[in-house]
Amino acid sequence: MHLFRTTVLACLALSTFAVAALAAPVGVGRDATLASQPKANSIAELVARYDSSSCIGCHQQAHDEWAKSIHARSIFGTGRTAATFRTAIINGAMDWPASGVKSPKDVKVEHLQGCTKCHLPQLADATDKVAQEIVTTLWDWDAAIKKEDTDKAEKLEKTLSSLNINCLICHNRNAITHKWSEGYPKKDTVYGSKSGEHMDGKFTKMAKGQIMSESIMCGQCHGQGPNFDQENPTQCATGYASYLMAYIPEGGNKSCQQCHMRESKLGHNMQSYRSKEMAQKAVEMHVETNSVYWRDNTTIRPKAAVRIELTNKAGHGIPDG
Amino acid sequence: MPIPQQLGKGDRMGRGPYEKSGMLEDTSLPPLRTITTTHDIFFPVKTEEKDGKKVSSISSDTLDLEVRLWYLPFGTMDDDPFLWKEFKKTVKISTTGK
Repeated sequence: MHLFRTTVLACLALSTFAVAALAAPVGVGRDATLASQPKANSIAELVARYDSSSCIGCHQQAHDEWAKSIHARSIFGTGRTAATFRTAIINGAMDWPASGVKSPKDVKVEHLQGCTKCHLPQLADATDKVAQEIVTTLWDWDAAIKKEDTDKAEKLEKTLSSLNINCLICHNRNAITHKWSEGYPKKDTVYGSKSGEHMDGKFTKMAKGQIMSESIMCGQCHGQGPNFDQENPTQCATGYASYLMAYIPEGGNKSCQQCHMRESKLGHNMQSYRSKEMAQKAVEMHVETNSVYWRDNTTIRPKAAVRIELTNKAGHGIPDG
Repeated sequence: MPIPQQLGKGDRMGRGPYEKSGMLEDTSLPPLRTITTTHDIFFPVKTEEKDGKKVSSISSDTLDLEVRLWYLPFGTMDDDPFLWKEFKKTVKISTTGK
């Protein structure tokens, strides 16, 4: 009996160990990332985890450029983005019978990931409390707008705008796509064009990021079609898919960064059509006209024959959504 | 414009990223390609009766053409239209000859 009990206990211990081993995420060095820290429990904690304000001291120009881009307000956007978050919950999650969302109070991180996978990748490092805080802020912001309470709306807009794609998302969290071959992004390192010591209290090292100038860097968020890693796939931008499957086969060989940062001279102020520089670069229009006087005895049909040629010079379809 | 499929099935367009999965049609400009379209813009013509016959004539021998390329991010001119390119020219038709 004693031997039987010991054997059973040993088997239970072994199976528990096996289950634990199977459940643990793979990858060597994952525990040294910012993402692997205990999940943030509030918007303030999440913002603090990915606080890029210390970058401004030395990288003022890059910061000022970035601040003009939509990356700097990826949740709030022009107001329309924030409104679409609400719509995604009301017309999406709350409408789907198997989502588990009957009211905004049921929204978890997973429900927001349809949007935040790209609009706020760092939300994956937060608890459902943060998801609820974001939802509450969105709803309160909408209510303040409707009540014309400008002060309150501005305050909530500021909270939503503090959640964004800042320096640390590209230069740390998302700096490495192929983590098993390149290593995981370390929590004390910023990834860019150089390696060595880095003059920052928290990010004391810099390392050369292998993909900083590669289109795959941008492709992490700028879309390939339905996000099949999700339980209910969303599809927002498909620009990277268009880049891979249409631009490259057509003979294109530039990276996103070449057009959107270097040739445009916009640097970290990545823009699309609303920038005059980008709009001019992207599309050429050539128009030719000639007059034609069609006639028979009594009927005339004089016309201008107009031939319009539109050439897309961009690295993806225009427009792409 | 890419016309996304609604939830990956059927013939309806998905509206909002939470609905979009797949593609029904893509009328956007493909990268590194030139799309050519031709358009006939007719001069205004007036028809009168003369000697028992209907005779047409043009009101003016010139036509002011304006070609505008608009991007409509939300599908209509009512919602944030963006004027991308513009072209203007006056076209003249002959007034002499049979």
